[in-house]
Amino acid sequence: MGSSMSSEPLAALRRPVQPLPPRPRDYAWAWAAGVVALLLGITWHLGINFAALAAGLGDIAEYVHRYSTPNFTDWSRYLALMGITLATALWGTAIAAGLSFILAPLAAKNFSPHPVVYRGAREILNFMRAMPDLVLALMFVAAIGLGPFPGALALGVHSSGFLGKFLAECMERVDKDTCEGVASTGAGFIQRLAFVAWPTILPEGLGYLLFILDRNVRMASVLGMVGAGGIGFELYNSLRMFNYDQSAAMILVILATLLLIDHAASWLRRRLE
Amino acid sequence: MLLPSAKWRWPSPSGLPSWKLTGPLLALLTVLWATAPMVELNLPRLASSSGRFFHFAGQLVEMPDWGYFPQLVLKLIETVEMTVLGTFIATLVSLPLGVLAASNTSPHPWVCRLIRDLLSLMRAMPELVWALVFVSAVGLGPLAGTMALAWVTVGFLGKIFAEAIEVVSPKAMEGVRAHGAGRMQVLQFAVLPQALPDLVGTVAYILDHNLRSATILGLVGAGGIGYDLIMSMRMFQYGRLIMIMAAIYLLVTALDRVSDHLRGQVIHGQLYEQ
Repeated sequence: MGSSMSSEPLAALRRPVQPLPPRPRDYAWAWAAGVVALLLGITWHLGINFAALAAGLGDIAEYVHRYSTPNFTDWSRYLALMGITLATALWGTAIAAGLSFILAPLAAKNFSPHPVVYRGAREILNFMRAMPDLVLALMFVAAIGLGPFPGALALGVHSSGFLGKFLAECMERVDKDTCEGVASTGAGFIQRLAFVAWPTILPEGLGYLLFILDRNVRMASVLGMVGAGGIGFELYNSLRMFNYDQSAAMILVILATLLLIDHAASWLRRRLE
Repeated sequence: MLLPSAKWRWPSPSGLPSWKLTGPLLALLTVLWATAPMVELNLPRLASSSGRFFHFAGQLVEMPDWGYFPQLVLKLIETVEMTVLGTFIATLVSLPLGVLAASNTSPHPWVCRLIRDLLSLMRAMPELVWALVFVSAVGLGPLAGTMALAWVTVGFLGKIFAEAIEVVSPKAMEGVRAHGAGRMQVLQFAVLPQALPDLVGTVAYILDHNLRSATILGLVGAGGIGYDLIMSMRMFQYGRLIMIMAAIYLLVTALDRVSDHLRGQVIHGQLYEQ
């Protein structure tokens, strides 16, 4: 009797040991090999020759050296042109703000008046985002004529695709109870926007607006290449005529302005938070 | 969930919107009004040219030129390849730069300052300007475009990587260091695992951004679909133009969806739950 009781735990010990689960396979090396193969394939297909690139490093250094004597005799004109570029960016951002003020609430799932309107607004924003602003500028220049305003219009249309999407996603994160609370007082679409949606997303929305402004200033300086005015037009012309000294001066003016705006924007962003 | 903040609520107790809101808005409107002549905003001209615009847009609607299709596909593949290669090179280069530019992992505050300024210089000008410079330096073709993409992307990624590293918990770093880990081991076992979701999300976003940029780099001869785009516009081959625009729209939208999905997964932690 005693022996049978003591054999119970012994039997448990004698049970065959459970084999360990198989060690998870590590496929990291296979992924790495695949990525390397893909990149090599791409390099081959694009016809990029890194050996030739290394041999051409001297040429690149020589080419960059040509920009080493910037010529600032025309500086007042460059500053005026930079001012036009900044004004173009500002107007583009204002147009984007206006367009997305209308489109964002329609493209937010919880505020949109109807699912069909929601899908439609989303697709419009998508389309605006997908059209590069340089292409839009080309089209507006062809239709309206040369000058900074087609540039501002192109920037506005393209960047409202981004701003509208950001704002709509922001609105979708608005607290549900607050929405219901205001809706239960009988508030309509406009009232829900005015008293729930906009006040809630204002701080975050201003941050996005600054981001868009920052981006538009950068883009406005190249829109000139397609005839949309500002400093980009002059830079493109002087690059084409191999006026390295004047090009270097203009590039420096653009760089200085952009760095200044970068610092100003990050200062403003800290103030907002 | 976002809650409305008391600071921005309106109307205020006086029944009028607060000055904090109306003041900046009025200032902004004044600036816009003052800069209107600078951008040559001319409403009558705008109104009169709207007819021309619709005429132009009407011309665009033409039967697609299907004979161009094989070349279109080739050019699209080239655009995507430039994007992938440029982004990959930039990611590799900006990882060490990000470590050097983050204040908590940088070997010296001066190194941190220097690298930060270098990065902001790299991203200050758009890809297209750098593409012009690189085309002049290495010649026409996708190499110049890839270099321009990688160059600007290093500027962006380096900064964002540095910011992602700076918010890593110092306790984990201290813990690993207490085991006698060297600088590289702290990076490998404390910094990288915490910063990884942010990094993956950022790379997904940058990939999307770079595809958009790559579609226009061809305008200055730096490879991709942009060259065909501008040529078909200049030569009035609207049958090709409409195909190119539709293709760009589809490609960009597809990557936009994929990138959004990936970032959503990374941010909600589904990718790293195992």
